[in-house]
Amino acid sequence: MTIHINPESEQPIMSDSYVIIGDGIAGASAAETLREEAPDADITVLTDEGESLYNRILIKEYAKGKLPEAPISIHQEEWYDDHDVDLRLNTVVVDIDVENDAIHTHEGETFAYDTLLLAVGGTPQQLPVGNADADGIHHFWTFQDARKIKASVEDADNAVIVGAGLLGIDFAAICGAQDVEAKYLMRGDAWWRYALSEEGAEIMHDAMRERGVEPVFGSGVDHFEVDDDGHVEAAVDPNGERYECDFAGVAIGLNFNTELVEDTPIETEDGIVVDEFMRTNVDNVYAAGDITTFNDLVLGEQAKNGSWGSAKEQGTVAARNMVEYGSETFEWVSSYSITHFDFPFLSFGHPTLGDDSVEATTADGEWRRVALQDGKIVGGVLIGDLSPQSAFKQLMREGRDVSGQTDLLMEPGFSVDDLAAQTEQ
Amino acid sequence: MPLRETGRRMRLRRTGRVPTDARVRHYDELDEDTQVAVLELAGRPRTAPETGDLDDGDVVKFTDYYEVRAR
Repeated sequence: MTIHINPESEQPIMSDSYVIIGDGIAGASAAETLREEAPDADITVLTDEGESLYNRILIKEYAKGKLPEAPISIHQEEWYDDHDVDLRLNTVVVDIDVENDAIHTHEGETFAYDTLLLAVGGTPQQLPVGNADADGIHHFWTFQDARKIKASVEDADNAVIVGAGLLGIDFAAICGAQDVEAKYLMRGDAWWRYALSEEGAEIMHDAMRERGVEPVFGSGVDHFEVDDDGHVEAAVDPNGERYECDFAGVAIGLNFNTELVEDTPIETEDGIVVDEFMRTNVDNVYAAGDITTFNDLVLGEQAKNGSWGSAKEQGTVAARNMVEYGSETFEWVSSYSITHFDFPFLSFGHPTLGDDSVEATTADGEWRRVALQDGKIVGGVLIGDLSPQSAFKQLMREGRDVSGQTDLLMEPGFSVDDLAAQTEQ
Repeated sequence: MPLRETGRRMRLRRTGRVPTDARVRHYDELDEDTQVAVLELAGRPRTAPETGDLDDGDVVKFTDYYEVRAR
């Protein structure tokens, strides 16, 4: 609570004080919602980055050389002034004191709060192999990362990519767009093998090959070799194969930034645990975005999600509950698209979960897979034809049991009405 | 996101140049109804009612870059 003096009455007036750690889309959407819901509140946003909110899902386009910097920015610093939000850039939080409702920063500043939001996200994992921190080996998370990647890849002739998932394929697209020949080293026999069968993955492999990126299966990295200046010059895989590279892109996952709360009573489990209102087990501390392990009302169990839409919604929902706890639940079916190729790709929900699945090639270059748990859709992947996405998401939200009718899900032009008609028969 | 009550219709025109002052929206940022409209319009000479989260002059990143024209 902050006490101000009202100049007209000279009586103290009290306003709620909100502190948000993180200025990604979760933190920023929370700040925006808080300002709408609590016009008189004090709102402070702390970020360790040197720039305000930018579009994290477009920075890959910048690194590809397809977009200039300007459209990537979402909030200019004036936005914070206009909305009376105190933005602190380059501010590293070193301690959270939940007993005394205070935040301490690396420069010795203390920020007191009534309610705190942790939107602290994650940090890319480094490969646990020799020379993994050499010059020329890149991880991709921030706009600053994108700038370094763009500069580095523009000077490269060949590259190695590691991480056969949704983030790794961005490196493949960047190399393809910048005419860099790349080897995409994968431990398994297919890209994103936990969500795709070989048939679906092969569509993606072909798209990579068309752009000069060669998938290498049964591979990975045993160690990197560096030159006399400490710059990467090759990756050696566990089979002893050596792949020369001027540039390496590593995207093997995130470490969630839970170290901030390690010495607090805040519960963690592969992230910060929150309820469906985005509140932690400490009453005046909330969390939103990639960092959360949340109660997924659609899935019916705890889940994680790293998509832009999910993070934005979590920030909004968290803010509303920070003002009035219990006012809104987070209930969301997420999706994530890949738009690097001349066909679209979309994953939705939790495509790597489930106890059953159905898949089909519906036309040349069009493939889909739906993951099911107890007869209900929990996620899926669409390649080429995204038209059933709304129907599948609707069925997920409704928790419809589609047992015995899963073949219908694979029909081109499928709609929910088809299923309903089948049910009534 | 509900449809706007402007009576305007929009179309998407493939563009090879993104102006520095354009608002660029990735497909994943769009509401579900707008995503459906983008699927319908991208690369096709069609129009659809203007949606609430796209404006005339916006650029959408889908499988290509598309400029939104709303009239």
